[in-house]
Amino acid sequence: MNNQNQILGVFDDPDVVTNAVKVLLKNDVKVKDVFSPFPLEHVWDLLKLKTRIPYATFIYGAVGTSSVFAFLYWTSVISYPLTFGGKPHNSLSFVVLMFVLTILSGVIFTLATLLIREKMWPGKKVTLPDSRSMDDKFVIVIDKNKDMDEATVKKIDELLMKSGAVEVNGSNV
Amino acid sequence: MYNINVRGVLIEGNKRYHDITRDVTNPILTNKTPLWWWITAFLASGMLVWGIWGFYNTITVGTGTWGLNNSVSWGWAIINFVWWIGIGHAGTAFSIFLLVLHQKWRTSINRAAEAMTIFAVMAAGMFPLIHMGRIWNGFFVFPYPNTRGPLWDNFNSPLFWDVMAISTYLTASFLFWYVGMMPDFATIRERTTSKIKKKIYNILSFGWVGSARGWLRFEAAALLMGGLTAPLVVSVHSIVATDFAAGVVPGWHSTIFPPFFVVGAIFSGFAMVLTMMIIVRKVYKYEEYVTQRHLDAIARVLTFVSLIMGVAYISEIFIAWYSDSPYEMFVFFKNRTAGEYAYSYWAMITFNALMPQLFWFKKIRQNITIVFIISIFINVGMWYERFVIVVTSLSKTWLPSTWHGYSPTATEIAIYVGTIGFFILGLLAFLRFLPMMAISELKGINKETSMITEKPENHE
Repeated sequence: MNNQNQILGVFDDPDVVTNAVKVLLKNDVKVKDVFSPFPLEHVWDLLKLKTRIPYATFIYGAVGTSSVFAFLYWTSVISYPLTFGGKPHNSLSFVVLMFVLTILSGVIFTLATLLIREKMWPGKKVTLPDSRSMDDKFVIVIDKNKDMDEATVKKIDELLMKSGAVEVNGSNV
Repeated sequence: MYNINVRGVLIEGNKRYHDITRDVTNPILTNKTPLWWWITAFLASGMLVWGIWGFYNTITVGTGTWGLNNSVSWGWAIINFVWWIGIGHAGTAFSIFLLVLHQKWRTSINRAAEAMTIFAVMAAGMFPLIHMGRIWNGFFVFPYPNTRGPLWDNFNSPLFWDVMAISTYLTASFLFWYVGMMPDFATIRERTTSKIKKKIYNILSFGWVGSARGWLRFEAAALLMGGLTAPLVVSVHSIVATDFAAGVVPGWHSTIFPPFFVVGAIFSGFAMVLTMMIIVRKVYKYEEYVTQRHLDAIARVLTFVSLIMGVAYISEIFIAWYSDSPYEMFVFFKNRTAGEYAYSYWAMITFNALMPQLFWFKKIRQNITIVFIISIFINVGMWYERFVIVVTSLSKTWLPSTWHGYSPTATEIAIYVGTIGFFILGLLAFLRFLPMMAISELKGINKETSMITEKPENHE
């Protein structure tokens, strides 16, 4: 176990694992990641994780709105102005298409951003540190540094066990 | 914090996380396809084959094979189009409105409701396509630089908005549905022992691992996609309603149409969800996930929406009288309520406004058989509503010399039956190969709403 470069703390309860992360951070242990079968909001806060996807989505929406308006203005006013009933070429009803296509561009590009940021693609080969984290286990991953001596590793193992881990394993993944 | 005492547990049977994984993935991982599946698939394929005959007939001969005439130029095709679109509103209404309202009981139903949306909207989309008559010119609906001027589409026409709104709705719902399934595909990938299935579900899962950062981004993106799609529920059917309301036909030219259509769509969508979930929970023995309380909650929503429908019907009649327009008065007091299609009007009133009021009684809400029957009647009633709107109005417009009756031909019936077959086949494929409940979401609500953790002797 000692020649493996990661320590895995395996838990079976979402609240216990959240608490364990808190304990580890208090003891200056660097938590690399937590793998879980469903989202754990408190862990994000503890690990100070943030995402800027909402800002990106706003930009995609804004770009969608303005480009659709530009297209409608170009086709209906510049390229082929068609007068009927004395109505203005630059019509207020463009709002409907701008609304719908803003949503379309927001949805598509938000998904694209998620996939790019998470480096996900169909058929990507992945190896989980512990495949049970897709079922009913919550796995805390801690990197073993080179300068980490035997005693520190032991301390981390003990901390994990004390905060309610069902198993403490090593992994190379 | 969710108050457990108000609604009772959401997942019965004190499930552990592993039990949820097992219960949802087992029907997918088994190599034995149940007999009922083959029988239903066979019947649905038969329906689809008949529908393909209808399509073939229409494409090779033309819309002359339909019962349409100069007066009633919109028949079953438009009725069924609006009907399917209405059913297609269930998924988004379920996943997103209830997500925004923090209604956690949606978790065991939303995936199936979204799947229903996808197939219903695809079925709906076939009708405008086939209604073109010359389907090979279908690409004319898209704005592309062409050699005709370039002459662009009419961007102020509700019909063009429809093209955009429905294709956007289909795309957005599909992507939202798919994103929600990625973690569950990963669960199946880790659980299956078959090499081929592992490969397929790995492709489908996009290599999802479920790290903390991954979940954070996933939740942010899913919520944004859901939040963006939510207004589409309102806009799609409003635009469909504008197809009618922008026309100067008595009975159509009314500002009540968009909200009336949106409510009707949610009504029929929820009814179809109820129909489907009652069958699914019975066949797959998911009574512990889709509990009596889930069905009760849908029935309550239907009662409320049915009241809105009733008010809409009454206000249409009131406005016709209040407008003092002889044409509007004729539509509501002579044509619809007492004319040759009066049966459809009264079927609509009975099935949509009156019958769901039975849900006020707890005894009826708890009797699954009666709930199932009422949900079927609502689906029929909503079909009649579209029939009333399209056929009664068009068959008797301004000039009595243009009055003409309408009855569908075998080709039209075949196309309708074919889309039902397509819908059923789609759902069957979904039930067989995809996780029909959101595994990760069920696990997410399990502890705070359903698990009894104080008593370790209950575990396993």
